[in-house]
Amino acid sequence: MTSKIIIMAERIKDAEDRFLESLFESAPIADDGFSQQIVRRVNRQLWVRRLTLPVAALIGGLIAFKPLAGLLSVIGNMSTMISFDAVGVAANSIPQMQNVLLGAILLGAAMLAARILED
Amino acid sequence: MTQAEDNDLVARAVSGQDTAAFGELVRRHQSHVRNFLRKLCGDHTLADDLAQDCFMHAWDKLQTYSGRGSFIGWLLKVAYTTFLQSKRKSKRYTEILESAGHVADQESRSKVMPSDEITDLDKFLAVLDEEERAIMVMSYACGLSHREIGMATEMPVGTVKSIIFRGKEKIRNSFDIKDHHHG
Repeated sequence: MTSKIIIMAERIKDAEDRFLESLFESAPIADDGFSQQIVRRVNRQLWVRRLTLPVAALIGGLIAFKPLAGLLSVIGNMSTMISFDAVGVAANSIPQMQNVLLGAILLGAAMLAARILED
Repeated sequence: MTQAEDNDLVARAVSGQDTAAFGELVRRHQSHVRNFLRKLCGDHTLADDLAQDCFMHAWDKLQTYSGRGSFIGWLLKVAYTTFLQSKRKSKRYTEILESAGHVADQESRSKVMPSDEITDLDKFLAVLDEEERAIMVMSYACGLSHREIGMATEMPVGTVKSIIFRGKEKIRNSFDIKDHHHG
């Protein structure tokens, strides 16, 4: 009720208000393809967003494939060697660890770059 | 163009990522948004670019529209924020140019309108500051209620009313409005 009274009070306009309204009044702007342009931009943005994650995962996967394979083989070696020579396993795995770390960092960087691009 | 239809289109656009429904919303409201930004910037090309950015922001934030106020009120809030952000960016750009020793007012000089294109409204708007201009345009050109303007500008209704009062007073003091009333 109170808000209705406030709205009614706002609508009671004096001559000055009516003059200002007529002054500020302007002809409607024709669409002329404006809305279609926006829809095209929105569709493009949707496609980019849909593609970003799979593409980033693919690139990350390709980059990480070699170090990951190395990691798996090290794990495989460890499972057979651990009972025999723990010190030897550590020595074997250290050169592979560099590749694994590099792959992980590249994967992280690729995901981060994809996220920034998406934003 | 009813509020219920707008709300229905918003619901369709948000729930199903329905770009056709959003396109319909743009088609319905583009004239108001572009007129608002044109009056605010005084530069039609820049205003239309800002209107495009505004609708892209609106698409991104559409799920934040609660449906409590009018959709055009919410849209003008997005448009006003887009305008202020662009203004801040261009100010920063000018500062960088200034610090790099370029002529600072080059851009503003290039935007001065030819005198034959200046309308009565441009003269009235020129005496108002940015905030007053935005609120007066929302009130008199877009027909928003004081409450809707308050929501769009994140100001209390009392402040909106006093800014409109101040704006009217500035116009009254700068121009003889009574002459316009009667002829």
